[in-house]
Amino acid sequence: MVFPTVEFAIFFPIVLALSWALMSRQHVWKPFMLAASYVFYSAANPLFCLLLAGVTLGNQAASKLIHGSEDEHFRRRIVIAAVALNLITLGVFKYYGFFATEVNGVLDSVGLGLPVPLAAIALPIGISFIVFQAISYTVDVKRRVIEPASTIDAALYLSFFSHLVAGPIVRAREFLPQLATPRDPRNVALGAGVFLITVGLIKKVAIADSLAREVVDPVFAVPQAYAAPDLALAAYGYAVQVFCDFSGYTDIAIGTALLLGFVFPQNFRAPFGATSFRDLWQRWHITLSRFLRDFLYIPLGGNRGGKLKTARNVMITMTLGGLWHGAAWGPILWGAIHGTALVSEQFFREREWRPPKWLRWFIVFHVFVLALVFFRAATLDIAITFLGRLLEPGPATLWTFPIVAVVVGMIAYQCVPQRPLDALRVRIEQLHPVALGASMATVILLVAATVSSQGVPPFIYFQF
Amino acid sequence: MTKKDPYILDRPTGRRLRARDALVCVGVAVVLLLLIEGPSIRNTGREMSSGVERTVVRAVGEPAGWAGDRLPLSDAADSMTGWLSPDDKLTGPGGFQNAAVAAPQPGDGAPAPITPDYFDPSAIGGKTRQLPKLTKLLVTGDSMSQPLDAELARRLADTGGVQTVRDAHLGTAISTTDLVDWGKLSVRHAAKTPDAVVMFIGANDAFPMSKPDGKTVNCCGPDWAAVYAARVRRMMDTYRRDGATRVYWLSLPYPRGSARQTIVRTVNAAIAVAAQPFRSQVRVLDMASVFTPGQRFRTAMTVNGKATIVRHPDGIHLNAAGARVAAELVTARLRADFKSIGG
Repeated sequence: MVFPTVEFAIFFPIVLALSWALMSRQHVWKPFMLAASYVFYSAANPLFCLLLAGVTLGNQAASKLIHGSEDEHFRRRIVIAAVALNLITLGVFKYYGFFATEVNGVLDSVGLGLPVPLAAIALPIGISFIVFQAISYTVDVKRRVIEPASTIDAALYLSFFSHLVAGPIVRAREFLPQLATPRDPRNVALGAGVFLITVGLIKKVAIADSLAREVVDPVFAVPQAYAAPDLALAAYGYAVQVFCDFSGYTDIAIGTALLLGFVFPQNFRAPFGATSFRDLWQRWHITLSRFLRDFLYIPLGGNRGGKLKTARNVMITMTLGGLWHGAAWGPILWGAIHGTALVSEQFFREREWRPPKWLRWFIVFHVFVLALVFFRAATLDIAITFLGRLLEPGPATLWTFPIVAVVVGMIAYQCVPQRPLDALRVRIEQLHPVALGASMATVILLVAATVSSQGVPPFIYFQF
Repeated sequence: MTKKDPYILDRPTGRRLRARDALVCVGVAVVLLLLIEGPSIRNTGREMSSGVERTVVRAVGEPAGWAGDRLPLSDAADSMTGWLSPDDKLTGPGGFQNAAVAAPQPGDGAPAPITPDYFDPSAIGGKTRQLPKLTKLLVTGDSMSQPLDAELARRLADTGGVQTVRDAHLGTAISTTDLVDWGKLSVRHAAKTPDAVVMFIGANDAFPMSKPDGKTVNCCGPDWAAVYAARVRRMMDTYRRDGATRVYWLSLPYPRGSARQTIVRTVNAAIAVAAQPFRSQVRVLDMASVFTPGQRFRTAMTVNGKATIVRHPDGIHLNAAGARVAAELVTARLRADFKSIGG
């Protein structure tokens, strides 16, 4: 089940009403919410629920074992086994086809045949997010940051439907304390929740999908048919599309959670306004950045051990972060470009080379936009063709006022310190609940009217 | 001063209300949406494939549709938001929704005459009648047509002089008019006078349809196949424009699941029957045999001497490598049917 559908529009009000009705009886509320989350997940494929349950029980067992032992070697062995099993699960479902093809290609080129069986394995929706949260839970227990939760709390943490399929990546230490006591029915951030849901719908359906349909998809499919003006518009347009698509999903996830009384971490903070690459990664997909930092970069050694080792650790972290986004060379290259940018930035910072702020913004933003070409293009050949034609003169066949205005507006908006939307949000929060509901219905109707007959494409991050 | 733990989340600032207010707010939104969109929710439910989700959507949609029919809200909302729609409204003749397209009825009189169009000349030892020049190609269908459409567009862009129009309608089907009425859409497509049309559709089919006598038939018996074939035949006839356009209708490769295989078997049979009167202009390209010989699903096949994954992990669609194989077959037929391509 996905957010902007009739099915979810029926599912959510029922769950919301029952959730608050049962909230004071936690022994009933928890099984109810767990069942609702599994119903939500089973809409994609009921068999995936078995995988979700397996990951939950496996990590819960590991956490209990770790917590029950004072032997550091034993605790370490268990956490390594649990993390390995999580990564194997992710690897089998997400990367097997890619690696089998690549390994066969290499072995075949040296005359060793094609020994690895080829298979295209169905990707359970949200598997990366589930596995990452499971890893964070088990490792945080090992680090004694948290104690193991009860099995039902752990299951609810991993399956809670608002963040289940595309994040944000909520850490156990953020979520489990909220399960410890019933949510307060007199303290619901209703206005903020409704505001986020409606803004998320506008971002996803009205902006991201329109940009994809009108500019990004046609140009990235056949870049050789377009000249520089259209290619540039598609490159900027994709940056705006991917931001609106993913942050739109996150907004809806956070908004629905707020209506249920839960708080999720922010995932985006005006990333197009970043003036350094470090700043960018503290604004873009924040929950993934901190996961990679805490569970990959720091365990690799972080910035301890000298400049070369720090650079190595950054490159490994960002390249694997790229691989996480897709089992293909494009996303890997995208991650490597960001790793190189972070290392280069550090190099120049140490030499106290500090260009003016506007120039830093210009460099960061354009490296971000150009790297996304590798992220979006179906193959490296297409990406290279795209970049190669960026200086090719020709007509602007796709430039229309609404499209250009949306692209420029979305970028410019994030670069101004005072955001008019914040003031609007405060005003909306003051509305009477009936007016809030009517406003939400109006926005949904307006947004639905922008859907083309080609349908609503899935959220980009569902494939991750 | 100690540093704040970054993993302790701040509740958003702003006004706090009660849970009861949240229910009122969401309730008002739901009631308004049901009253305004009730008829379309009802239609969506009626045309969904059977299952729990359909039952739930119908349980909500039928009463909402009933209430919506009695209020002027739906039409008012349509007229007020119509300007936002990126599509021109599909109007005019040729739709499947209101007129149950007649499947051939036994005993309707004399059998339809057999015309020369029933025969592909090349199949009876003759020479294919070539069209002069391919300058405009339409690639359309449901999600099956992606990424084939992009692959074809790239190949023809390299040739130069061919405009490839890609018009995929995800989640649509010939057996339902819920999102798109393919009867009307094919009329609109044909009005743009493409030289050739590539159609790859059927991944979502199996919706119940109405027979000419008004009775509903479920997939996938002969009655359903007859109605489906009649719809496909009407679309083929529209697209071929009395022979001015070549139509390339791709049969479906067999999917992984056995339930879907039954659907695909029926859809492919219906496509073959539908094309019979137009063999001289409508080519049914047999993707089923290419990708799934013996009607058996396979993930990989040998391409250029190498084992290659050609199917998407969902077990339904073609992946990029599979699309390249399909595009090769389509372009080979285009070269046979047109004296020149682009240029």
